[in-house]
Amino acid sequence: MSDFVAKKGVKNLQHKDEKLITTHCCYCGMQCGMHIRVHKRTGEVRGVEPRYDWPVTMGKMCPKGVTAYQTIEHEDRIKKPLIKKNGKFVEASWEEALDLIEKNYKGLQSKYGKDALSVFGGVSMTNEKCYLVGKYARVALGTRYIDYNGRFCMSSAAGGFIRTFGVDRGSTLPWTELEHSDCFFMAGSNTAECHPTSIQWFWKAKDKGAKMIVVDPRETPTARVADVHLDLKPGTDSALANGMMHILVKEGYVDEAYVQERCNNYEQLKEQVAHFTPEYTSEKTGISIEKILKAAHIFGRSKRSVVMFARGVEQQSKGVDNVALYSSMSLLKGHIGKFASGVATFTGQGNGQGGREHGQKSDLLPGYRKLTDPEAVKYISSVWGIDPEEMPKPGVSAYEMFDEIQKGNIRAMHVICSNPAVSAPNTEYIWDGFKKLDFLVVSDFFLSETAEYADVVLPATSWAEDEGTTTNIEGRVIRIRKVREPYGDSKTDWQIMSEIAKRMGKEKHFDYKNVSEIFEEFRLATKGGKADYYGVTYDKIDEQDGVFWPCPSEDHPGTPTMFKERFATEDGKANLAIVDWREPGEIPTEDYPHILTTGRVVYHYLSGNQTRRVNFLMEQCPLPYVEMHPELASQYNFQDGDFCKLTTRRSSMTVEVKLTKAIREDTVFIPYHWGKELSVNQLTNPCLDPISRMPEFKVCAVKLQKIAEYEMPSPI
Amino acid sequence: MNKIMYLEFERCIGCRSCQAACRECGDHDAKERNYVEYVDFMESRQTYPMLCMQCKDPACARVCPANAIQITEEGVVLSAMEEKCIGCRNCTFGCPFGIPKFDFEENKMYKCDMCYDRSKHDIAPMCASVCPSDAIRFIDYDEMMQLRRKRTQMNLIEGKKPQEGNKWEYVPEFFGVYSD
Repeated sequence: MSDFVAKKGVKNLQHKDEKLITTHCCYCGMQCGMHIRVHKRTGEVRGVEPRYDWPVTMGKMCPKGVTAYQTIEHEDRIKKPLIKKNGKFVEASWEEALDLIEKNYKGLQSKYGKDALSVFGGVSMTNEKCYLVGKYARVALGTRYIDYNGRFCMSSAAGGFIRTFGVDRGSTLPWTELEHSDCFFMAGSNTAECHPTSIQWFWKAKDKGAKMIVVDPRETPTARVADVHLDLKPGTDSALANGMMHILVKEGYVDEAYVQERCNNYEQLKEQVAHFTPEYTSEKTGISIEKILKAAHIFGRSKRSVVMFARGVEQQSKGVDNVALYSSMSLLKGHIGKFASGVATFTGQGNGQGGREHGQKSDLLPGYRKLTDPEAVKYISSVWGIDPEEMPKPGVSAYEMFDEIQKGNIRAMHVICSNPAVSAPNTEYIWDGFKKLDFLVVSDFFLSETAEYADVVLPATSWAEDEGTTTNIEGRVIRIRKVREPYGDSKTDWQIMSEIAKRMGKEKHFDYKNVSEIFEEFRLATKGGKADYYGVTYDKIDEQDGVFWPCPSEDHPGTPTMFKERFATEDGKANLAIVDWREPGEIPTEDYPHILTTGRVVYHYLSGNQTRRVNFLMEQCPLPYVEMHPELASQYNFQDGDFCKLTTRRSSMTVEVKLTKAIREDTVFIPYHWGKELSVNQLTNPCLDPISRMPEFKVCAVKLQKIAEYEMPSPI
Repeated sequence: MNKIMYLEFERCIGCRSCQAACRECGDHDAKERNYVEYVDFMESRQTYPMLCMQCKDPACARVCPANAIQITEEGVVLSAMEEKCIGCRNCTFGCPFGIPKFDFEENKMYKCDMCYDRSKHDIAPMCASVCPSDAIRFIDYDEMMQLRRKRTQMNLIEGKKPQEGNKWEYVPEFFGVYSD
């Protein structure tokens, strides 16, 4: 089958000496369709060509997507395994590197037990690889300690969805329906910068008269196009959602028949929201009463609304509550399971959806099965060919693994496709953890800040050097194609894991010749689970422009719209959220008088390990900065370009001041894509959500100080 | 060429994808020829894209003493011909929109050519292809006229300033197409 897929009548520019290979972007959950231009003779990657006929993104790309191909043959790529000798990395052969890993893994396990090893995964890779990371930890290494970077990304959305609907699919509707919606209620998402190609759908709807309500402490490019911008104080989403529901109930906007038939807890909800009057909500959130009323009436009157949210509401110690509350707003309107309406979260990482379903989480097995369910353990053990007794018990969440390092329980770690030295909160604690480890292995294709702490760095391939599937923001399983052969001596993550498994004497469980074999086993492992991929095949993905899970059999077309008849809870009813007001983990005090929040800029992705190496992106945004309202700035005599030292209870950092009125006066903002002294996560609060174990990146108390002279460190 | 470029400034989200994509066009030597500017960052995040207008009687070509700037039969105003350009920079001063750029290393001007290798086959230029918000579009004349009429119609239904954050204030007067 050809690697170039285009519909009839679609014109692309094809140079004579090049071929086009159809794939998707490596970055966020939008997974924009693209063709990569490859030189026919040399196999060299030449550039990118828009994929006009991909139905979700129509050829559109953000600047990260346009330049994504530039990372594939980048001069900074790691070409050979690196072993640290006397504090310096030395190039080595795969044999040497694997020998060293085998020696240390076996040595540590015989001395401290199986759980001395740990795996820290990531979800910017294919379903096949994400699935294998779970199996690698539990079968090849036999450890209970496995978790992944989605814990800092999607875990609150997952927790909130499971609590409310019984299953966690990021969007209850396909996004091609968004243009038919008439109201978007968008909380804690700057989608114009974080998922830029989604904005076309909102504009399409707006062109027909749809309304947009955006909840954000900053007037982001998304909030700028809103009909109502609810400029709330960070960490007060639960009050706002309750306040909105108060008005929905009071003004008779609730679809009583739907709620009676399909939801639990309605009476308790009415009682709970009774005291969230517009006055009380305004007092807690800092939003004017007038705006709250206006938003509630627009939302209340809409016939087809979509409630959407992202890390702004999820990366809080109340993340799960916030997700459940905002989802309940949609339930009250009776809008879930219907055309062009529903609930959706904006998936941050490329495969944030698929990667969280198949066993990288400390307590989950493939197909969204629970590790605490004996039936699930039995089934997966049979697929993996192990004795159920051998299946390790649940471990701990990503941040808590670093507590285990401090306690001496975890002695070695294998970090795959992640850079927690930048992306975890309270990074100084993380750095200290890496130093305490006896042995650290990192698989990556650039030398990340995390890799710098490693004893062995294994050169992994980039997304373009392997094939497989990912699951996009909607829950649509799509196909990633191989664009070129592995760069240098790099190997795919699944080959690396298989090699190590072989060294650990588990080769019979990792005997894969190609990705299809893993995919077949993976499909079987998900069969009958909540996230059922059994009916998804590569051919079907091409034929149908992707397949939405659940797709339980090969003749099943997939499930674009969720919950049409019933919810995935035991009684088939959705659970409305009953949540009272609770303060965030830190509130401003006399010593730390302002609020610090963090987020993305359009030019960078996650920890910046890839995007900080792309010229165009670095020309646009080379360094982090602090965004501040001129009113707050004048209290400290800050002018544009001055240096500001920000201090929280964890640490301090210095960045340049950028003044704008498009932010609340009590809040400052710093983007998080840089490492070391430039990492804002030195300052963020590791206060965890009790259910999702998501750290509170989005709210902490901070003090400001003017610094006369300062030299900014290098961004790479 | 049967299509035209259509700009809607207010839709711009400031991602500068158009600039990144401009560098990707085969004949562009990895240098972008378009611009995205903040109207006033202190006030708002409103940005707008700025492209060559492909003028009918282009000032850049008129002020060129070497006749180096050619216009194709479709009306696309090309970069100065390498063998003719004398590097005087008259075009960069002459253009009322400030579009032509000057390459000091190569001593020649360069500007937007609407990705002529694409647009001559009616394939959208790179900027219009990737623009996530449809602020830049490459569409038929009829579609463009329909879009313009539609806007007036929406204003009649929705009122002229439907939004709370009054972005209209930040769009300069000379982008008068939508100010009715």
